[in-house]
Amino acid sequence: MADSFTYFLMSWTDLSLLLLTAIGTFAGIYIGAIPGLSVTMAVSILISFTFAWDVNDALALMVGVFCGGVYGGSRTAILLNIPGAPSAVATSFDGYPLAQQGEAGQAIGLSTVMSVIGGLIGVLILASTAPVLSEFALQFAPRDYFLIAVLGLLLVGSLAAESLSRGIFAASLGAVIGLVGMDPVTAEGRFTLGSMQLLGGIHYVVVMIGLFGVAEALFQLHQLNVKPVRQNVEKIIPSLNLVLKFLPLSIRTSIIGVIVGALPGTGGDIASLFAYDHAKRSVKNPSKPFGQGAYEGLVAPESANNAAVGGAFVPMLTLGMPGDAVTAVMLGALVIHGLNPGPMLMVTTPYIFWFMVGALVLANFFLLIFGLMGIKLFSKVVELPKAILVPLILVLCVVGSYSLNNSMNEVYWMLGFGIAGYFLKIFGFQMGPIILGVILGPLMDNSYRQAMSSVGDSMPAFLIELMTNPLSIVLTLAIILLLLSNLPLKRMIRSSKNPS
Amino acid sequence: MIKKALATLALSAGALTALSPALADYPERNIEGIIQWGAGGATDNVARSLTPHVEDALDTTIVLTNRPGGTGVIGMNSVLTKPANGYTLLYGAENPQLYPVMGLADFTYADMTPINVIGQGLVVIAAPADKDWENLGDLLKDAQANPGTLRMGGTGAGGLPNTVLAMINSVDELDVRNVTFGGDGPGITAMLGGHIDFMPLSLAAAQEHIASGRLKGLAVLTKEPIKQLPEVAPITEALPEIESYLPWGPFWTVAVRKETPDDIVATLADAYEQGVANEQFQQFLTKNGAQSLNLRGEEAKQFLDRWQSVTAWALEKAGSAKVSPEEFGIAKP
Repeated sequence: MADSFTYFLMSWTDLSLLLLTAIGTFAGIYIGAIPGLSVTMAVSILISFTFAWDVNDALALMVGVFCGGVYGGSRTAILLNIPGAPSAVATSFDGYPLAQQGEAGQAIGLSTVMSVIGGLIGVLILASTAPVLSEFALQFAPRDYFLIAVLGLLLVGSLAAESLSRGIFAASLGAVIGLVGMDPVTAEGRFTLGSMQLLGGIHYVVVMIGLFGVAEALFQLHQLNVKPVRQNVEKIIPSLNLVLKFLPLSIRTSIIGVIVGALPGTGGDIASLFAYDHAKRSVKNPSKPFGQGAYEGLVAPESANNAAVGGAFVPMLTLGMPGDAVTAVMLGALVIHGLNPGPMLMVTTPYIFWFMVGALVLANFFLLIFGLMGIKLFSKVVELPKAILVPLILVLCVVGSYSLNNSMNEVYWMLGFGIAGYFLKIFGFQMGPIILGVILGPLMDNSYRQAMSSVGDSMPAFLIELMTNPLSIVLTLAIILLLLSNLPLKRMIRSSKNPS
Repeated sequence: MIKKALATLALSAGALTALSPALADYPERNIEGIIQWGAGGATDNVARSLTPHVEDALDTTIVLTNRPGGTGVIGMNSVLTKPANGYTLLYGAENPQLYPVMGLADFTYADMTPINVIGQGLVVIAAPADKDWENLGDLLKDAQANPGTLRMGGTGAGGLPNTVLAMINSVDELDVRNVTFGGDGPGITAMLGGHIDFMPLSLAAAQEHIASGRLKGLAVLTKEPIKQLPEVAPITEALPEIESYLPWGPFWTVAVRKETPDDIVATLADAYEQGVANEQFQQFLTKNGAQSLNLRGEEAKQFLDRWQSVTAWALEKAGSAKVSPEEFGIAKP
């Protein structure tokens, strides 16, 4: 125990580790804020960069970049309606309306504090229950991932603000986009029109940058002469009262974040959408209606996606299995530095676990400091004239999508989705459900086929498994409840009971 | 000062281009290394561990980028479309040798010049520790008593588990439910949760789980026991006829376009030979369940041809090839 504490404090007491964590967090915030410059990419570049370093130094830097990057995605989501990363998509739903009302500073301030609370809850759960949680995550069979994907697709009801039918159309479109590429089972091209480039599929970040970035930039051209909203830069740091008011919601959504993050097949992007949906269902009187600048709509996804960081480390540190794309790359870093990530990691090199936990806590403190710094300056971005802002957004979009794979193909796709997204926007389609479809479509496809081949392609056997496995029963019931709660049936019963 | 330096630089650059290219010293700028698999995977780990040692030997920087997608088709295609001047290298795995028979692309390593065949991964057939089987023979008996009920973890057509299954089926009978996962990692996760019954895996991915006692090895794909898992029987014990396919495993190689000038190929081959031989890298390979090969020139080509012929014909024999290897002139083993 005393040893664990020493390991925990390693990154706190060593000046170079402290500095590296700080630098990593700072850099991560800005990498995360630029759409397309992803944390995964930054960490894989760092592997080559830190090859000759001591493993602790390399890990401290990577942990910082990871924490900062996940948080950074919210910046551009709030200021420009362009999520810096898929896990910040839900943040834009209420963050951008807040910026439009002159409250960009307050929105960033609140999202920073909530990110740190979420992040710390994530680390706390990682430190206290990692082995139990990872055993729990192992219980999820392919059929359960399928049920999660179905549950996720039902979020369309929450995300499609005005028209459910448009939302369903958008989500289906997204699912089809997500399925383009090589069929994972048969290795045949699917919707590839015989093109070799399409065999690799369409990167969902490309879709996101196009739909949110370019489409938004084009849309803003309609308001070239509209005077930008003056930003109120007073009281940027949320008051204790405000934080305490949202704390229960933040804790609930952080738990969602940790669990979804700890499942090896799902990550912060799905977690934040679930969290947003949870906020929408559980908060009866939000500060403003959801979608028009509700603080609750900001608190939920921001707590969840940062809590998912702690969650992602659970399978990584206990089993050597990545919880998401970033931890997959970090596992590679451990291998290259001569460690053996796997179930024996905690036995052979127990210090790594507590060292990581310590570095994560430290990174969250730096996040609070760096996140709250410079908000006044950042909020002014919204006040920039459109003639400067729009070209700037377009440049960022091109850089971001090019750097995904160092190839122009992604740029063309991004522009194509941008233009398509612009027209979809004009006709009142929401972008959120499309991204939902792109993320969940492949998960649903893979897990359904895995589940079916596990039972010898027999539908009755599949249904029996759904009815007999406790985890599957819970998930199936959740789906049924969600469906029923969305049906007008409920209203009909209520109105028949109280004839007024 | 800076202006002057820039002017000298510009002048010398001009002078260099004026000279015949043979006189220019290769490499005179950064080299791009394209990894055909994603970050954090086996190929990526090998590339990132090896490259710093090669950089020392070449005295230049090799900028590594991942271009994953389509079992590596995208990354390989992008190297094939770049100039053949030695400034674009492919860090590839075994997959290109099967592209034509899987109907994925019409190119293979025959369209490139191998600089170095770095090493070959060892393969182990693993199962959850609580299974009754002691070895592959027990599994085969169980599978033959209950055909089509055991769940095998696979990684899709052309992947390692499917190839091993095809090899077994070409000498014996193993009728299973093939459950496809996105790679070794997701497959192991499912196996730890008891959602699949066994899976052929790279030793690198499986060894820590076998060491922890949660998985057990049923057979290793070699003729003799290996030092990393001395207690696991070689596959030839249960299936003696499979010997003709061995040694077999996934491998990693560095290659350039076929049209690259010979002197550049030689410079690169020297540097990579030195890099692979580096003690630190050798330790990395052993630790990760791989055998060092360090092959160049003709030896490398022979290795690639033999691997392709053995694997493609095993797939064909088991009925898993989409196009017969005969159509591409792949010789029978």
